[in-house]
Amino acid sequence: MDHKSRIRILRFSPVQRLFHILLVISFLVQSATGVGRMFIETGFGRLLCYIFGGYGMARVVHIYVGIFMILGFGVHAVYLMFKVDWRRFPGSLFSEDSIVPRPSDIKGFFSHMQWMFGRRSFPPFDRWGFWEKFDYWAVFWGMVIIGSTGLIMAFPVQSSRYIPGWFLNVAFWIHRIEAILAMGHVFIIHFFIAHLRRHNFPMDRAMFEGSVSIESARHERAAWIQRLEKEGRLRTLMVEDAHPIRRAVYYVVGYSAMFIGLFLLFGGLLNSPDITW
Amino acid sequence: MKSIQFPYSVALRLKPMPPVFYLLLVLMLAAPGPVRSQEEVITSYRHFREREYSTGYYEDYEVRPLKQAPVAIPGVRIGTFPYSPSAAEVRIRTRLADSHRGIKFYELQQCKDCHPRNALNNHTVRANITCRQCHGGEPIASINHYFSPMNPIRRHAYICSKCHQGANVSFASYVIHEPFPADVGTLEEFPVLFAAFWFMVAIAVGTFLVFLPHTALWGVRELLTKKKGGAGGS
Repeated sequence: MDHKSRIRILRFSPVQRLFHILLVISFLVQSATGVGRMFIETGFGRLLCYIFGGYGMARVVHIYVGIFMILGFGVHAVYLMFKVDWRRFPGSLFSEDSIVPRPSDIKGFFSHMQWMFGRRSFPPFDRWGFWEKFDYWAVFWGMVIIGSTGLIMAFPVQSSRYIPGWFLNVAFWIHRIEAILAMGHVFIIHFFIAHLRRHNFPMDRAMFEGSVSIESARHERAAWIQRLEKEGRLRTLMVEDAHPIRRAVYYVVGYSAMFIGLFLLFGGLLNSPDITW
Repeated sequence: MKSIQFPYSVALRLKPMPPVFYLLLVLMLAAPGPVRSQEEVITSYRHFREREYSTGYYEDYEVRPLKQAPVAIPGVRIGTFPYSPSAAEVRIRTRLADSHRGIKFYELQQCKDCHPRNALNNHTVRANITCRQCHGGEPIASINHYFSPMNPIRRHAYICSKCHQGANVSFASYVIHEPFPADVGTLEEFPVLFAAFWFMVAIAVGTFLVFLPHTALWGVRELLTKKKGGAGGS
């Protein structure tokens, strides 16, 4: 099949894809260094720390990449300020194109469940599925929680001037549980939805290539395509498929991320009885 | 009417005083108020209370620990009877110069023989710090002994800052021998940790309870559906 013959529709801008790939890389580094330190009593943890130069260096890498992520989060917050449609401000936040959750997302969840049990046809989702909105806001608030507790622990002497030192104990556990939640969600749920379910298998390239195939979107995001057709914007969003070499790169990046994630997930699960909790 | 005869002594006091006396009286009124010690006036230290908290010294004198820790530590209960009667021995042992005084075969034992849970902390397990690097050599003074380096009043300066440069009193309130946050006992010992732990666990478990079955069902459902949109991903 020639790569130009496929018609695809744009979903993500280059800036959004850049944010995503930076998040992928920094998230995996943070996961590897964090899990490595958490499992330092086992061979699995020592292997992970060895890659980054040992237990002490893993902490240094973790702190610097963490600060990078916080800065990235700040840049993303500024980016959001530019993306909000201020002319129709409060209403635009709850429009179909917005990623802010709406009551219809709860309805979407239940009709999606009904479809799974064969009680209705596939619900016509709009631009963002409820699971995608959940992913986005989970990362958003996770960054706030993990970033703040991480900063507290990265500079314990300085931070204990402003907050009681015993809060370091609390910050440690908040950081740890939120990190386990984030890794569990990404390595199990996000990877399964983006890679392994039949509709997307072997991989949903939307976040790397920026576009999805129109037949696929017509099925999964029927309301969005219908809306674009009605507004006459569908033609302007059409793009060609990427060059096969670029496509190969996307697959390599996506699958590397997935295998690193699965390695951390299974390593962590298998070694979890052997560490001091 | 009979005149009243004052006793001799009273009559003596009522005698007019010399003018110097009145001059001194006026000067006394103009003088500054009484102070307990002139030492305070001439010292260069200003915030006595803060300095006393953070160094354990008042001027050049080492002071006894205050009853109230400068930073409130959850779990450290201060009261008339903070322990059960059966734990009276422990209560006494927290104030000894040699906390292990009178323990039989003490020199044959290791710390973790009697304190197994205390050996499981991140300083020991991860950073390979031994008990003695913080608690010191023999005799190990009780935590709350007046002149113990581990006393909360000077712990940050004598123990923590050996590695954590610039550690202050607040920093030293970090609980090294942290109770396991999930335990019921932690609710009383360290309630903030207990609450934070279970709150975070509730969020995590709630998320997985909704999305794991959702994802699994979704996968199964799509296996049973004829794929739309062509092969080779989307």
